[in-house]
This record gives sequence, C-alpha cells and structure tokens, in this order.
Amino acid sequence: MTSMGGQRRLGRRLILLIGAIYFAFPFVAMARFAFQNVQVFDLGRSTLFENWSLTSVTSAFGEDYFWDALRLSIQLALGTALLTLFVLVPTAVWVHLRIPRARAVVEFLTVLPYVIPAIALVAGIVVIKPHARWFLNSDLSLIPFYAVLALPFTYRSIDAGLRAIDLRTLTEASRSLGAGWNVTLRRVLIPSLKSALISSTFLTVAVVLGEYTIADVLLKRTLPAFMAEYRQSDPRGGYALAVLSLLATTLLFAGIGVATRPRGGRNPRTDEPSPSTEETPS
Amino acid sequence: MALIDLSHSSPGDEGATASAVAPSLRRKGQTLRDYAGLLPFLTFLLLFLLVPAYSVFDQALKNPDGSFGTDAFREAISGQNFQAFKFSITFSAGAAFVGVIAGTLLAHAASTVEKPRWIKNLVTSFSGVAANMGGLPLAFMFLSLLGRQGILTKILEYFGFDLYAGDFGLGEVSGLIIVYSYFNIPLMVLVTLPAIEGLRPAWREACVNLGGTGFTYWRRIGIPVLLPSLLGGFLLLFANSFSAYATAQQLTDNSKIVPLRIGFFLGGDVSIGEDAVGYGLAAWMIIVMAASMGAYWLLRRRSERWLG
Repeated sequence: MTSMGGQRRLGRRLILLIGAIYFAFPFVAMARFAFQNVQVFDLGRSTLFENWSLTSVTSAFGEDYFWDALRLSIQLALGTALLTLFVLVPTAVWVHLRIPRARAVVEFLTVLPYVIPAIALVAGIVVIKPHARWFLNSDLSLIPFYAVLALPFTYRSIDAGLRAIDLRTLTEASRSLGAGWNVTLRRVLIPSLKSALISSTFLTVAVVLGEYTIADVLLKRTLPAFMAEYRQSDPRGGYALAVLSLLATTLLFAGIGVATRPRGGRNPRTDEPSPSTEETPS
Repeated sequence: MALIDLSHSSPGDEGATASAVAPSLRRKGQTLRDYAGLLPFLTFLLLFLLVPAYSVFDQALKNPDGSFGTDAFREAISGQNFQAFKFSITFSAGAAFVGVIAGTLLAHAASTVEKPRWIKNLVTSFSGVAANMGGLPLAFMFLSLLGRQGILTKILEYFGFDLYAGDFGLGEVSGLIIVYSYFNIPLMVLVTLPAIEGLRPAWREACVNLGGTGFTYWRRIGIPVLLPSLLGGFLLLFANSFSAYATAQQLTDNSKIVPLRIGFFLGGDVSIGEDAVGYGLAAWMIIVMAASMGAYWLLRRRSERWLG
C-alpha cells in the first residue's frame, strides 16, 4: 500500500515538474534572447553570464513610433474601460433588480463574442467600413469593438460582484433614506462593487494591451502592432517589448487577484471563484 | 445613457401600488419598461457585434453583381479552402486533445498534492494568467525556443538530433499543438478543476469497500462523472485553437490556417469577386464556432447537474 501511495505521489510530482518546465522554458528563452546579446551557438558555460543588458528595450523606447503606439494603446484602454463601465454596470444592476428572469439571456448575449471571434468580427468591420468611414477612420473607433471583445470577462466579473452583495436591500435602504438613483449609484453601489469594478477594468486593459487581430487587419498602430512591426527590424527589441507586455499583464492579473480576494470570510458569498480565473479566447 | 433610464423610474414602482389598480395591465406596462432598460446594452451589441457578423454572411451570400447567390459560400469550403479547413480542424482537434489530457492530469495533480499547499494556489493563479496568453508574446516565446535558431533547437542539434529534419515546423500541426498547449492546458485546468474537486472522497471509499481498485474507481466512477466536463473542455479548447489569429500569424505564413487565410483575403490583394470568398471563410468560421460553443454550453449544463 505504502509503495503504491509513494508511486502515486511521485507521479504527481513528476506531472507538476514537467508542467513547470514546459511553462517556464519558453519564457526564459524569450527573455534571454531579448536581454542577452550572445548568439545561441556561442552559448556555453563561459558566456552564460555575458552581455546581458537592457539596450534592446532602451533602443525600442528611442523610437518615436513606440510612443505614438503607447499613447494610442493607453487611450484605447482607458476609453474601453470607461465605455464598459458606462454600458455594463447600469445594465447589470438593472437586470439584477428589475428583470432577474432575463439574467440567463443577458449572460448568453455577453458570451456571443466567443462565437464571433476577432478575425470574423474584423471581417464584418471591413464590410461596414465604406459606409462608416467618418467613424472607422479614427483610431479611437476601435474602442467599442474592444469593449465587445472584453465583454465575456467584464460582464462576468461585474455580475459576480452583484451576486456577492445584497443589492435589493442596499438600494431599498438607500432609497428609503431619501437618496435618488444617482446618489444610490454613486454612494452605495459603486463603493460596494469596488473590487468587481476594479477587476473588470483591469481585465479590459489586459484585453486591449493584448489585442492584435483587429489592429493588424485595420492597420491601426497600437502597441501590439508596433511590436510586430518593430520585430522585423530589431528582433531583440520586439521580444523585449513582449517580455514587458507579459509582465504588465501578469501584474494586472495579480491586481485582480488582490482586489477580489475574499476578506476575512465576512460574506460567505464572496467565496465564488474570482472572475480572473475564468476562461477567455485568445 | 443607461444612467438616465435608471433615474427615470419613479420610487415605489414595485409591489404596493401595483395590486390596487388593474394589476395585469399595470404589470404589462412595467415589464415593457423593465425590458426597455436593456436598450442601451442591446444597441451597443447590435451596432458593434451583430451588424458586423450579419454583414459577413450578407457578403458571403452575394454574387459579384450584388444578387443573392451561394457561389462564394460554397467556394469557401472547396479546393484549397477545403484543405485549409481540414488542416485547421486537424490541428485544433489535436491541440484540444493534448490540452484536455494534460490539463486534467495537471489539475488532478495540483488538487491532490498534500504539501506544499501553495502548489494548488500557484497552479490556479498561473492558469488564470496563462489561459489568457495568446497573441504575440506567445509566438515570440516559442520562436526563441523552437524556431530554427531557437535555443532548444540548438541544444537538440548539439546532441545530434535535428528537429527540423522531418516535417516539423512551428506552423505545422505538431508545432501548433506544442504552442497552443501553452494556453489550452491552463484553460483546461480552470475548466476541469471544479469538476475534479467535486469528486467526493466518499465515492472512492465506497468503491474500495466494494472491492474495487483504483482502476475500477476511474473506469466506473471518476471518468464517467468527469466526462461531460472533459468533452465540454475539448470543445472549448477546440474553438479556442481554431479561432486564434495573432499567434499563428507571427509563427508562420502557412495559408492553410483558416484565420490567416481570412486575414489574407481581407488584406485586399485579391480581385473583386474573390473577396467574397474571404467573407465565406469568415462565415463558415462563425458556423463552426457556433456549433462547438453551443455543444459546449449543453455539456456544461449537464456536468453542473452532477457536480452542482
């Protein structure tokens, strides 16, 4: 019996170890390539610690295009996050309070972007383009489409936040104390939904910073598009930017983890899985 | 916009006053107004998701002269385009299969490992990040690891194994499976972990008490209970791999990958009638996605029945 249990434990360890190697190695390889200026065939014990530097990043930062792309991506991220909050929070609150029966339907609508992936969506945008040039010629016209791509994650995180609070009691208490809907939203709902709103915003930013498909087809120069283009002339610089973007994304997810961590078991219902650990299409 | 809708509804709408005067009439008006609260959201979805999706089908089902016709729609699944769908479905199914097996093993290992306890948290948190990792960084990682000048390629070469001697390539079936597993495995961990945690220890004990072995337990209890979520995971991973554009585009210019093919047609370097084929491909992609996600939805409902 003991030997079988031991074998099983060994098997588990082995699986975890193989997993760790598979997930760590590609990242290490990319980081090495980005930050160490040594050809692969020169690598050896003597050169392993040579020529590490951040010059690849600094030279990428030296490009004017980089700053343009960064500015555009930041504008898109902020715009998408704001649009998401303005459309989704009232909708989700409304559905929870007034038409709980419609919850499943709304939820179904919010996962439709899984069915119509970015490459198909952008095909549709290309069709519409001649009829809406006044709108689609602007770089910022990506905002609503990015909000759509982020919809499955953002709605779910706001929905989870609403499930975790006693919405009806809170609003009724606020209303009976004389607050209007505006005050209720600003002083009661938003504070109690803070962590859901933060995680929805971070998810949006992560989606916008990673989105490449639509930007590439529509020739918009966002940060990922710059990264792809810059790699053609300076591979190490492009890879270095990818390392930075991965770190940024990881930080955003860590932030979501902190924001949605259940606090001291005060409310057992907040123990639902945090929205960050849900599936997304790539 | 929706904020205004909210502030318009007068206090005391619910309950008390409703029952006094003509309840059914009152309720009907109210229901209508309740649903009107969804208008801003529905408009947003219509303009930026449904209209583009409709336009894809509209263009795909059109003759060059603008009349209705199914030529482009059929052209999109014949000849080279058929080969592309075959290739894409093959590698997506392969990537999904590998992801389901490896993800389930990893989730099981993480959920049953006794110590150190942080392993499980690490695996779940990491999966949350890695499942979302598509796009360029993923392609760059594997190019620097397994590309022609990749570090692992060179290490293998040093030991006398030429990775590229056969038909290996990051844009071929084997390469794409290796790369896509990077987000498929974590995604499967997230999908299957709740189901694995839902397996009650009592079931295992019951099986042992009745004389069953570990194998009997998995064969008769474990796998059957997990089956809906395994199949559901397969469909989700399949759809995920099938629709990925960014990573594939950086890895290869293999035009047998359907999303890349759509991108090529959208790029505009094709003659007039031909661009309709691109929309036909996109339309078929939506159909494939709808079928697999729909089946996923059904299976998930089924697995929730067991492991609620």
